[in-house]
Amino acid sequence: MELLRPSSVAELDGGSFVHGGTEVVPLLREGLLQAQRLVDVRGVVPRGVRDGVVGAGTTLAQLEVEPAIPEALREACRLASSPQLRNMGSLGGNLLQATRCWYWRLGYDCRLHGGDRCHAREGEHREHAIFANDFCASAHPSDVAAALVALGARLRTNRRELAVEDLYRLPDEADRRTTTLEDGELLLEVELPPVDASTYLKAMDRKRWSFPQVGVAVARQADGSTRIALAGVAPVPWLIESVEELETATPLPRTEWKVPLAQALVRRALAALA
Amino acid sequence: MSELRLTINGGEHVLDVPVGTSLADVLREELELTGTKIACNEGHCGACTVQVDGVPRLSCITLAHTVEGEVTTIEGLREHPLVEAFVRADAVQCGFCTPGQVVSAAALVAARPEPTRDEIRHAMAGNICRCGTYPKIEEAILTWQD
Amino acid sequence: MARLIRTEKEVEGRFEEVWIVVEEDPLEQWPAGPLAVVGRPAPRQDAPERVRGEARYTADIKLPGMLHAAVLRSPHAHAHVRRIDLAPALTLPGVRAAVGPGEAHGLEEEAGFSGAPVAAVAADTLAQAQAAVEAVDVEWEELEVVVDPDEAVKRGLLRDEPRRRERGDVERALAGADVVVETTYRTQTVLHNSLETHQAVCEWQGDTLHVYISTQFIWGIRQAVSETLGLPEDKVRVVCEFMGGGFGSKNGPDEYTYVAAELAKRTGRAVRCALTRREEHTSAGNRNATIQRLRAGARSDGTIVALVGEFTNSVGWSGWNASTEGPMWMLYDCENVRTVTYGAQLNTPPMKAFRAPGFVEGTFGLECLIDELAARLDVDPLELRRRNYAGSNEGTPYSSKNLEECYRRAEPHWERRHEAHARSDAVWKRGVGMASQIWYGGGGPPSYAWVRLGSDGRATVITAMQDIGTGTRTAMAQIAAEELRLPLENVEVVLGDSARGPYASISAGSSTTPSMGPAVRAAAADAREQVEDIAEQRGLPRDAPVEEVVSLLEESQILGKGARGPNPSGMSVLTFGVHVVEVAVDVETGEVVVERVAAIHDVGRIVNPLGASSQVEGGIIQGIGHTLSEERLLDPETGRVLTTSLDAYRMPTIADVPEIVCEFVDRPDEHLTNLGSKGLGEPPIVPIAAAIANAVRDATGADVHELPISREEMLRALREAEQQAREKEKRGAPATV
Repeated sequence: MELLRPSSVAELDGGSFVHGGTEVVPLLREGLLQAQRLVDVRGVVPRGVRDGVVGAGTTLAQLEVEPAIPEALREACRLASSPQLRNMGSLGGNLLQATRCWYWRLGYDCRLHGGDRCHAREGEHREHAIFANDFCASAHPSDVAAALVALGARLRTNRRELAVEDLYRLPDEADRRTTTLEDGELLLEVELPPVDASTYLKAMDRKRWSFPQVGVAVARQADGSTRIALAGVAPVPWLIESVEELETATPLPRTEWKVPLAQALVRRALAALA
Repeated sequence: MSELRLTINGGEHVLDVPVGTSLADVLREELELTGTKIACNEGHCGACTVQVDGVPRLSCITLAHTVEGEVTTIEGLREHPLVEAFVRADAVQCGFCTPGQVVSAAALVAARPEPTRDEIRHAMAGNICRCGTYPKIEEAILTWQD
Repeated sequence: MARLIRTEKEVEGRFEEVWIVVEEDPLEQWPAGPLAVVGRPAPRQDAPERVRGEARYTADIKLPGMLHAAVLRSPHAHAHVRRIDLAPALTLPGVRAAVGPGEAHGLEEEAGFSGAPVAAVAADTLAQAQAAVEAVDVEWEELEVVVDPDEAVKRGLLRDEPRRRERGDVERALAGADVVVETTYRTQTVLHNSLETHQAVCEWQGDTLHVYISTQFIWGIRQAVSETLGLPEDKVRVVCEFMGGGFGSKNGPDEYTYVAAELAKRTGRAVRCALTRREEHTSAGNRNATIQRLRAGARSDGTIVALVGEFTNSVGWSGWNASTEGPMWMLYDCENVRTVTYGAQLNTPPMKAFRAPGFVEGTFGLECLIDELAARLDVDPLELRRRNYAGSNEGTPYSSKNLEECYRRAEPHWERRHEAHARSDAVWKRGVGMASQIWYGGGGPPSYAWVRLGSDGRATVITAMQDIGTGTRTAMAQIAAEELRLPLENVEVVLGDSARGPYASISAGSSTTPSMGPAVRAAAADAREQVEDIAEQRGLPRDAPVEEVVSLLEESQILGKGARGPNPSGMSVLTFGVHVVEVAVDVETGEVVVERVAAIHDVGRIVNPLGASSQVEGGIIQGIGHTLSEERLLDPETGRVLTTSLDAYRMPTIADVPEIVCEFVDRPDEHLTNLGSKGLGEPPIVPIAAAIANAVRDATGADVHELPISREEMLRALREAEQQAREKEKRGAPATV
């Protein structure tokens, strides 16, 4: 294995990008990611917050105490993972983390791994999705992604600009990926449009260091409209129009409990902004 | 094999280890700094916590060749007043997580010398103690300057 | 004088008849209450090296030339090795030796669970060994997988004969009862998750096998390894100076020890075999799941007239059928009791003892049932427990029992429920619950200690026991210091090596202090008597300060020896306690927060109140994990463990800890040894789950009857309670929820 440390975007030339390493290193060790070339992109990806633009290399630990970002993002960072992981993990890396679905993590031949069934649907799925779970029932684990979707954030990569929600795609028969990122494409910056108010509420099964059972980000935009995005409920961060939309959820037998939980959190988050 | 330069507890080390080797393995296997424990080896428990430039990180999932900055392990914190505070408060049972706890706590009190209980609970939540020593750990951190 | 007796020996609630030599225990007990050293808080003597990272655990042992072993484990929950070829592994870089089924104890052709050990490889590095294990070529014949415990019972797939017991006439008592409650409780499988994984380093020196191992029982390892390998016991040396947690899972050697020993023999090198965290989750034991179908009948005055239980332990592929029915037999004075306990043999990882095995699970069921009964009878739950107080253990007197005193001290905590209810609002409901605790913890013989006293007035206690993190090393030093009338800092304890000290007790079953403490005191007393004789010869009073008496001795040493005397015959030695728990439940999101736990325990004399409080806090916190967040999950189709990592298997963090108030009755058991102390390792985890569940019921009116009380279970129970309230309303009765 080789390790490259480019200092500019121009030097990028293939390989697997690694920033904080909190996702890539365990995946390499478990054989879920194969790489002969690791590219340490810390010299390439901007860090810090400036005029509503957050460098994708900024750590979650920096953001959880950053006064210049909206509450929803700050709180999503504060409640994410563990202190050490927040010290290591970058904003960009967090957006690209893979599901915690145990079948996927254990290398079952599931649909995300190119197989022809979702083991969770028939098997153990109490932490899985309540929306868009027909093909793959995995739940998206990123608190930060939900917050950014609610905040209407835009991403800049080395190749394009896009809305955060457009970074994600539901896997299907033809394409099993859950992001639209292309080979060699690297997240560089996150642009946060101004919002009036925002918040993030997270249900965990212990007080800290837990992936979201359900995470709810709500942001009231400058034009008065409200965006609601959820973590832990679908294979990708999930936008809903209103709390009523949760009635259209399609939970699995053991994820039914997530529906009233999400309803309660959405109502609370909306009330907090009112 | 690939050259690796590290500053650990103030000392310079030049080693030759394969790319992909974790900082924890370098500390324990190459340098015999066995105060840093490996309990899960996948970034979930905090037993392997070290500081890099004063910031707690998980050495088991840190690739040694990506380390930039000065590494502080428990061996570099043996004279820290927290050690005596942990002993006094009985903040150690089996002790396997304890070096990692001290490393995290040392970073906390460097940033906030008089942390509140809530701040302690937020900053120490990544260090799992299966013996459940937490009340005494909290006590040790609250009283570290006594 | 040594005396040969036939006696019943208890460990973890399991009894066996054994012959043992016991020595008389003529020492009078010390008076109750704090003494000069014993009964006073003492920081651990080995805390500095543990905190500073200097303590050398098995994980830190690095012997010259040491190889690393990795184990090939079955991916299938039930399969037979039709053919295995180790050759591809042996050709890989760094590989030194490989063993297959039958070549090391524990490696077997039939894999009864996913994670069962099959083969092993030793290589220069762990990575090489792991790569080599991948290369072993195995042809499996997959066999039928059974993971459902009810199905196993139905098909007679049991670990042993169903355990049936009855006293009195249950059917008649139920027929005559004013109130009968019936509920099914379920508890989940949980994992010990000691932070130091199971591991051993083995090295042969001549014909002696040196075993460095993370263990709770140095002498048990010595005995088992010598028997399995056909070695004289003194040709096996077992070392465990520091140990990173066990909780019942490290009482014996397992395949990793035998793999290391065999590969060391074949290579002539030291070999480490250490489980990874993931192997720890699949192959190192667990607290088995239970199903408890319970009934209780009572008269309207609160007298419990009948208790009935059908218990199914999901034992797994191997392991034993723990006494889940135990609390039902022992906790209350009830004339009519009938239980049957099935130990289901499943294609799941085997259970191992886990901190009060059986009683943790059984107490959850029974103490929740008692609260349901109290609700039906409209009797205060504390009062109901008092009305059915047991005066004897099925006719056998207790050596001591102060549960009534625990109840008395629980009253002010119990009274807080009115104020807790008053703090409830529309979302957060608050309530208080309680549960009683009964368990063993008396320890027993044999156990021995030596005391060596030098002319500098410093004493060393020598015994080949282990301190698994409970602080018993310090407790032993306190006992010796007290007896020798020396300051604590003058006493050292040498332990952890079978070659350096006499036989010592297992550290399981809450037995280290009650087993070892009296032996240490006897050894110290033996030394002290010699000092007194010397004082007399020097013309000093017999009670002259020890340091003064021995100051002339130069190189001479005083050597004392002591043995653990017998347990009182014809008496039950048991521990007791009460927990009172305050919870807050978010009725919209199902979040359960434990806010306060008051724990009152009766374990005889407390040697070190500081260390004892740490034991209680630790047991409670581990129990909170068991109650609220921990669960090992299996894939129902393949029987494979899904929660193999600590992000999926969630133990409490520091942020989950409630206020804990810890009290001890601290009355020496006057019938038990020269010390009057019982063990405390397990009692604090016994009642906590039931006390939390009862507090949840008090707060919300919802009946939770499954562990863990996840949001899923909590929301289910709340919905059920709502429906019941609505139905009641429809029927015209006033709603109680």
